[in-house]
Amino acid sequence: MTSVNRIRNFAIPFLFGVGFLACWEGAVKFFHLKPYFLAAPSKILGQFFNNASRIWDAASVSGMNALVGLVAGTVFGVIMSFILSRFRFLNSLITPLAIALNAVPIFVLVAVLNNMYSITSEIPRRIMVSLVVYFIVLVNVAKGLTQVKTTHLEIMRSYAASDVEILRKVRVPNAVPYLFTALKISAPAAVITSFVSEYFGGSQNGLGSRITSNIANSKNAAAWAYVLGACLLGLAFYIVSVVLENVASRGAGATNTTNK
Amino acid sequence: MSAVHVAGVSKIFNQGTPKQVDALVDVNLTVEPGEFVSLIGPSGCGKSTLLRLIANLLEPTTGEVTVNSKTAAQSRLDQDYGMAFQQAGLFDWRSVAKNIELPLELKGWDKEKRAARAQEMLELVKLPEFADLMPWQLSGGMQQRIAIARALAAHPPLLLMDEPFGALDEMTREYMQGELLRICAETKTTVVFVTHSIPEAVYLSNRVVVMSPRPGRITDVINVNLGETRSEDTRAAENFFSGITSVREALRGTHADHANAGAIRGVEDR
Repeated sequence: MTSVNRIRNFAIPFLFGVGFLACWEGAVKFFHLKPYFLAAPSKILGQFFNNASRIWDAASVSGMNALVGLVAGTVFGVIMSFILSRFRFLNSLITPLAIALNAVPIFVLVAVLNNMYSITSEIPRRIMVSLVVYFIVLVNVAKGLTQVKTTHLEIMRSYAASDVEILRKVRVPNAVPYLFTALKISAPAAVITSFVSEYFGGSQNGLGSRITSNIANSKNAAAWAYVLGACLLGLAFYIVSVVLENVASRGAGATNTTNK
Repeated sequence: MSAVHVAGVSKIFNQGTPKQVDALVDVNLTVEPGEFVSLIGPSGCGKSTLLRLIANLLEPTTGEVTVNSKTAAQSRLDQDYGMAFQQAGLFDWRSVAKNIELPLELKGWDKEKRAARAQEMLELVKLPEFADLMPWQLSGGMQQRIAIARALAAHPPLLLMDEPFGALDEMTREYMQGELLRICAETKTTVVFVTHSIPEAVYLSNRVVVMSPRPGRITDVINVNLGETRSEDTRAAENFFSGITSVREALRGTHADHANAGAIRGVEDR
């Protein structure tokens, strides 16, 4: 890619974003929109910098919940996918459950979990995040471990390879890209689940609960400032997952994913 | 001592169910050391099944398969053969050299010995400077040459190939046939080669085993006499064409109008 192309790829979305914000600002000024209806971007940005330390604190709480849940869900998902790929009959039991749970907004379960722990506990939220992540990782990694090319299996059998050797040298490397795909999907999902699970009671210390409480108090611009914080947090998680994937695939030397 | 001995072998899939398939019925075949034998026939004739029985990737329903005077199972455990398929089947996450080293890794060779052998094999298939590339950086023909290098890395006496050049274009295919003959002559490897190309079978083989489907069985064995060394001139030689004609007639069986073709099987084949 030439540098001109790279500038163009970056500049066009950037100019579009600036133009969009300018229109927004202009519309608020021109139509004299009331702040409780729609806050102007300049006001939101002002609120964002005024409340920067509070937004940072709230983001750390939600971010920590998302991170703990992401790590725990990934670890359990990977462990379970190994067990499932070893014992196929379990697969037929668990996979429909995983699909069913993925089809409903399971974060409402946090309301039930909240009743099981003390009101100030972060544990229900973290459990919720890890559940969402767990199923994404489980389904993807199990696919990577089981959907191995027949030719590869026949070659390994012709070398008299044991099941353990086939697992180590074929199934696990085959599942690595699936794991990173799962992480790329579940990183933003973890952040969203972390916010949403704050809507169901518990401590009012995260970004999700701050957004709702500011809206309840008609502090519209402040609510938007927290939304901006939430966007940045979600973006940070996504970028980290993409960087991790690039580092891992460079390590494996497999920069080409199109010939799979 | 024969390299491969198949005696009275049948293979029936899904026996006793409505989906029963008689893949092979009463197959007898002996391959001598150093021989190049092709299995040819229409799809469903059981040629790939026969190859997998020799490789012990499948167990025969009845009969016996012996490889290097051992049971097929023992030969597989001893890695007495190498195998190559239509898809090169290289591992995307391993470099070219690491792909070739895989069978040696499984045999427990140490690192330096593996690297030396991989380089030796790369020189054999004339790709010595490709060791550190990844498989997807290679063309289809190159990938297939690496697959052959991998199959031969442990210097097995027997090479089993299942339509290895089936996915290659005609030019590459003819080049690969020449390379395979050179490699097998250099390494004195016995080859059992599945194909559905008549010229390919004739060009490569000492003997062409003709098979027919429903149920899969051997209907004819054609001896090919193209001499010890074959070259591009062989493809224009008189006895190359007469070999092709013999195999074609054997494949056509009773459908052929030729006087003597098909006399072998009589009326039972529609």
